[in-house]
Amino acid sequence: VRWRLSPPQHLLQASAVLRRVSDEQKKEPLASSSQHHFDSQPADQQHDQEPQDPHSSYTGQDGQESEDYESEEQLQQRILTAALEFVPEHGWTAEAIAEGAKTLGLSVAAAGMFQSDGSQLILHFVSQCNTKLSELLEQEQKRVELGEAEKKPTDQFLKDAVEARLRMVIPYIEKWPQAVSILLLPHNIPSSLSLLTSMIDDIWHYAGDQSTDINWYTRRAVLTGIYNTTELVMMQDSSPDFEDTWRFLENRVADAMKMGDTANQVQSTGEALVQGLMGAAVTVSNVKTSRAER
Amino acid sequence: AARGLRRGRMALSWSLRGFAAGPQTHFGFQTVTEEERREKINRVFESVAKKYDVMNDSMTLGIHRLWKDVLVRTMNPSPGTLLLDVAGGTGDIAFRFINYVRAVRERQLQRKLKHHQNLSWQEIADSYQEDRSPLGDSQVVVCDINKEMLKVGKEKAQDLGYSEGLSWVLGNAEELPFDDDKFDVYTIAFGIRNVTRIDLALQEAYRVLKPGGRFLCLEFSQVTNPLLSRLYDLYSFQVIPVLGEVIAGDWKSYQYLVESIRQFPPQEELKEMIEDAGFFKVDYRNLNSGIVAIHSGFKL
Repeated sequence: VRWRLSPPQHLLQASAVLRRVSDEQKKEPLASSSQHHFDSQPADQQHDQEPQDPHSSYTGQDGQESEDYESEEQLQQRILTAALEFVPEHGWTAEAIAEGAKTLGLSVAAAGMFQSDGSQLILHFVSQCNTKLSELLEQEQKRVELGEAEKKPTDQFLKDAVEARLRMVIPYIEKWPQAVSILLLPHNIPSSLSLLTSMIDDIWHYAGDQSTDINWYTRRAVLTGIYNTTELVMMQDSSPDFEDTWRFLENRVADAMKMGDTANQVQSTGEALVQGLMGAAVTVSNVKTSRAER
Repeated sequence: AARGLRRGRMALSWSLRGFAAGPQTHFGFQTVTEEERREKINRVFESVAKKYDVMNDSMTLGIHRLWKDVLVRTMNPSPGTLLLDVAGGTGDIAFRFINYVRAVRERQLQRKLKHHQNLSWQEIADSYQEDRSPLGDSQVVVCDINKEMLKVGKEKAQDLGYSEGLSWVLGNAEELPFDDDKFDVYTIAFGIRNVTRIDLALQEAYRVLKPGGRFLCLEFSQVTNPLLSRLYDLYSFQVIPVLGEVIAGDWKSYQYLVESIRQFPPQEELKEMIEDAGFFKVDYRNLNSGIVAIHSGFKL
C-alpha cells in the first residue's frame, strides 16, 4: 500500500491558504505558463492584491513552482512549528499537529497531511534545534575572530556545544523519551541518523577539526557516543537544572580526551614492539646464515 | 466561491433546455444525455435502496466494511471535527466516524483524569459537572440526492442507536445546499461514480471545505495487476448481476454498477481532476491492488 506523490501542475491557481511570500517584490510579467493563473480569480481575503497587477512570479529551477506564494512545504513547516507549543500537553501526536493547525486558522483536518505517528513533528523539531545550534556556534566563532572572546580549549568547547544543544530539549523533556523511541523506529532511522551525524559534524567543524584521516571518523563516533549517553542520562535526571547531567558530560568529555592520549601511547608502544620483533628476527636469520657458513 | 453554484445551475438548465441535444454522457456502457443519466441513476438507487447493504456484503464478500474502516482510519478525525459525508445514503461512513471519534474522545478524557491524581474531593465533583460531551462536539452531516437511501439510513441509525451529532440532508453533490468554508472533512464513498458532472462535485467540495480541510474519496478504480484484473472482470460481469437478480430481483441495476466502474476514470486521471478543482497534496492509495482507491486532497 503506497502513497504516490507528484508535484501538482496547478500551483499557479489562487490558493485559499498559501500566502504570498513577498508583497513588495514585483517582477516583470511571466511567460504563457501563467496565463491560466491570470484567468482564475483570487478567491479569498488573504490575497487582497489588486487584480490588474499580474500575479508576478518567477519560475524556479523546474519552472513549476510559483515563488510568489509559499509552497506546501513551507506551510507544513509553519504548522509544525505552531504545533510544538502543544507538545507538552498532547505529546508528539497528530493531536498536537491538529491544535497547531487550528492556531493558524486552518481546519484540524490539515493534520492529515502528516504521518499519524508524529514522526515528522519530531524530525522538524530536531532539525530546528540543529539549525539553532549551528547559528550559536557560528556567532561564537565570529566573536572569537573579532577578538571579543577567548578561543576555548577543545574539551570545553565540546562540552558547551553539547550542553547548549541538550538544553533545547528541556521544555519538552517529559515527552522526550516518547520522541526518542519514535525516532528509533526503522522507517525513521535514516532521517534521524542523518540529522544526528550532521549535527555532530557541525560541532567538530566549529571545534576546528580539519583531520582527513581515520581521526575524522573516530572523533565523530566518540562525540556521537557522548551525546547519546548524555541525552539518556538527562531523561532520568531529576537534579536541579540537570547538574548531574552536565557533570556526567564533563567526565565523558575528559575521558575522551584522555583516550586520545592513550591511543597515541598504545600506537607508539605497538610500533616499538614491532621494531623489536623485526630486529630479533633479523638477528636470528643472521645467526643462522653465519652458522651455515661455518 | 459562487462559481460552482453558477456553473451547476447553468449545466442543469442547459441540459433541460435542449433535452435531445443536451451534452452526451455515459450510463454504464450506454450513451445518454446528462439529464437522462441523472434520472436513470435516481431510479437505480430508488430500487436498490432497501437491499443496498445486503448487496454490498454479498458482492464484495464483506470486504467493503474493511475498505470503509481504512477510509475512516486514514481520516484520523479528532474530536470537534465537522464531517460532510456526501452520497452517504445508508450512513456507513457516518457511523464509523462517530465510533472513531467517541473512542478518541474517551482516551482523551482518560488521559486528562490520569494527570489529575491528587485532586481534592471538591475538584473531582466539579469535574463531573463540566461538559464531558462524549463526541467532543464532532458532527457529521449525511447528504444524499436520493430520498430512499436517506430513509434507509435514518432507520439504520435508529436501530443501531446513533442519535447525537448526526444530521440527514437531501442534496445534490453538484450543487450542495451549504455555505462556503463550513466543513473540516468531505468524504464521498462509492458515490462519485454516480455523479454526472464530477468536476462540479469536486468544485463544490472545494467550496464547502474550510481552509486546511480535507477531501477524501473512496471509489472503485482500475486494477493494476493484469491477472487479478481478468479474474475481477470475470467476477464482475458474470457473478454480480446474477447476485443482483437473485438477492434483490434487479439484474439491470447491478449491470449498471459494474459497467459504471469500467467507465470511471483511473487513479491518475481522477487525481488530476481533483488537482484541477484546486486541491493540494493530492495523493491516492490503492486497496486490494486497485480494486478500490482512496484519493485525498487538501484545501490549502
